[in-house]
Amino acid sequence: MRTPIDARLYQIGFLTSFLLLGFLTRDWQLHIEVVLTAIVAALTTQYLCLKLKNSRNLLVPLPKGDLGGSSQFYSPMITALGLSVLLRVDHPWAMAFAATIAVLSKFLLEFNQKHIFNPANFGIVCAVLFTDEAWVSPGQWGESMWYVGMFLICGGLVLKKVGRWDTTIAFLSFYFAMEALRNVYLGWTWDVWSHRMMSGSLIMFSFFMITDPRTIPNAKPARIIWTFTIALITFILRNYFFMTTAVFFALFLAAPLTILLDWIFKDDRFDWFNLPSAITPEIKSV
Amino acid sequence: MTMIRSFFAIVLSLFLVFTNSLPALAFCGFYVAKADTKLYNQASQVAIARADDRTILTMANDYQGEAKDFAMVVPVPTVLKKEQVKVANPTIMERLDAFSAPRLVEYFDANPCEPVREYKSFGLPLPSAAPAPIASNRSREQAQGVTVEAQFNVGEYDIVILSAKESGGLESWLQDNGYKIPNGAKDLLKPYIRQKLKFFVAKVNLEKFETSGFTKLRPIQIAYESPRFMLPIRLGMVNAQQAQDLIVYILSPKGRAEVANYRTVRIPSDVNIPQFVKGEFSDFYKSMFNTSYDREDRNVAFLEYAWNMGNCDPCSADPLNPDELKQAGVFWLEQPIGTNKPQPIWGGRRPMPMSSNVFITRLHVRYTRDKFPEDLMFQDTNNQENFQGRYVMQHPYLNESNCDAGKQYRAGLPKRFDQEAQTLSKLTGWKIEDIRKKLPTVNLADVSWYDRFRAYVR
Repeated sequence: MRTPIDARLYQIGFLTSFLLLGFLTRDWQLHIEVVLTAIVAALTTQYLCLKLKNSRNLLVPLPKGDLGGSSQFYSPMITALGLSVLLRVDHPWAMAFAATIAVLSKFLLEFNQKHIFNPANFGIVCAVLFTDEAWVSPGQWGESMWYVGMFLICGGLVLKKVGRWDTTIAFLSFYFAMEALRNVYLGWTWDVWSHRMMSGSLIMFSFFMITDPRTIPNAKPARIIWTFTIALITFILRNYFFMTTAVFFALFLAAPLTILLDWIFKDDRFDWFNLPSAITPEIKSV
Repeated sequence: MTMIRSFFAIVLSLFLVFTNSLPALAFCGFYVAKADTKLYNQASQVAIARADDRTILTMANDYQGEAKDFAMVVPVPTVLKKEQVKVANPTIMERLDAFSAPRLVEYFDANPCEPVREYKSFGLPLPSAAPAPIASNRSREQAQGVTVEAQFNVGEYDIVILSAKESGGLESWLQDNGYKIPNGAKDLLKPYIRQKLKFFVAKVNLEKFETSGFTKLRPIQIAYESPRFMLPIRLGMVNAQQAQDLIVYILSPKGRAEVANYRTVRIPSDVNIPQFVKGEFSDFYKSMFNTSYDREDRNVAFLEYAWNMGNCDPCSADPLNPDELKQAGVFWLEQPIGTNKPQPIWGGRRPMPMSSNVFITRLHVRYTRDKFPEDLMFQDTNNQENFQGRYVMQHPYLNESNCDAGKQYRAGLPKRFDQEAQTLSKLTGWKIEDIRKKLPTVNLADVSWYDRFRAYVR
């Protein structure tokens, strides 16, 4: 029987290629030392936290047979790459701060064995709020359809692997609809709307951040409510508070809602090692 | 506007920085020419000094027509009172332009037979300035749904601040008051009305203009506090057939600014180009801009300059002094805010490094209706990294040099010239054959074949 490839490895592959693509074709002022800082900081933090957790035998045990195995480092790697793609810093230490606090948040801010915040999102918001060195460039992808298409395909692949595509679809549908209503109300032509919606950064967020199965509500109806909330907060922050990076703050603000929704809508917690069989026939055979 | 469009294969200029390495000693080079806004026929210039939500916006125009026909309608975020509007010094935009313009710098190779380096510099600055208004006439009554929030006179301008409920009402108010509104403006006014923006309407008070002694209309400067950090470009495109150039100077205490809803792309920079470009630097820059604009699919904002205003390297003009910065709208000089380092309190009356907390970003946007559907949104970042559009001329040493080092040096020159020619061709789309004709010739008669071969394969 063939062992299936962990969906997170796909994600690492995609994020790496986006990073390279942005660097080579989108004129990002990406510094290799910043990317390396993110990776080193995230992996080190993960290692130290695991170590601490195990030696003291605190909280929950790690998934069986995987104490310190390489798959424990997929998640911090994704976090580091996600931060490198999205967050821009003036000095590497700000990236180190973002990556460290992002991974720490997984260990410290958890409820019912689930971390409350998406690590990369938490890192971004903290770095933007608490350092004078970090920012997010929402215009960095431009709005070429080509990139949008690529996000759709790559994101779609990963999502299909873990069965959380409904969050992306729900979020984009709610958000597109709200913006469309506003567009009609204001009387803008439709190219204004499509220009806003085709933003590569928005699509990137919808496919790679809002879908993190470890931080979103477990039950489908809960996820729909949750994505609606994020779409609404994004809409308000963007159009009434003129925040250019509204989505990240919306996700940050809505994250604690997951606890409440999980309590109301009981469903199995997501586990990378016990994927819902209905969605991934490949894994079913294991 | 004539545009030289080219479709040559493009290689990122970044690559060339590594292949054409400069002598380490000559790091910063000397400034010789600049490509300022005089190059463009239809260019608006806007300076935005902004810290937190407080904004001072300066709009310059090079309106060429009769002063009586001049009028402008600009959506603004808040109602402006008389004290929030003033007329700016007409030279201030020229100063900002000159300080931040893309620049040509030159270096001189030393005699390879006697390794002493020598520098010379030339200064051939070009003149500057330029924008595009909306035309019209006089004002009088009122129409439905339109409220005159304020009405005052500043310098040579009569200014009315309007708020409106319906675009039809606003359109007829403007028409009734003698403003010639272009067809299709009504549909474009509506989104601004619904976003609760006010309208800043200015026209020239002829008496005041005649007595002012100025021959050109001066820039208008407005101050307001609003979280909106944007420039409405849609209204300006109602009737525009061709692309319009907009140069935005953003002054911030934090760092570099960028466009939030379009890509911000650095203009190719730090490349070595042949010497003859010195005589046609304006043409070079225009062609290079056109090529970059086409290559980026015409929907990006170009970053031409990003620098702390306390210094420049090389300087295409003197840095603005504190008084000029204030004229440009910088209001935080006396009360440092944001990321400022605390001033030393010892040492008595030491002069404050005033401009160290002013960072300038020069963005060049060439926009058309089809590629820029949405107004420009900006954001300031903490990015302190400097950037400038800088083009390097490396003058070869072509006098007699008969020592071995001299021969090897000369053997390497043809390859270097050709690399510079190729760079130029890629950047501008100019034909490589035409460029090669203008390259200097090198006497290689006394250079051995193996020196030539070595230079070739190096």
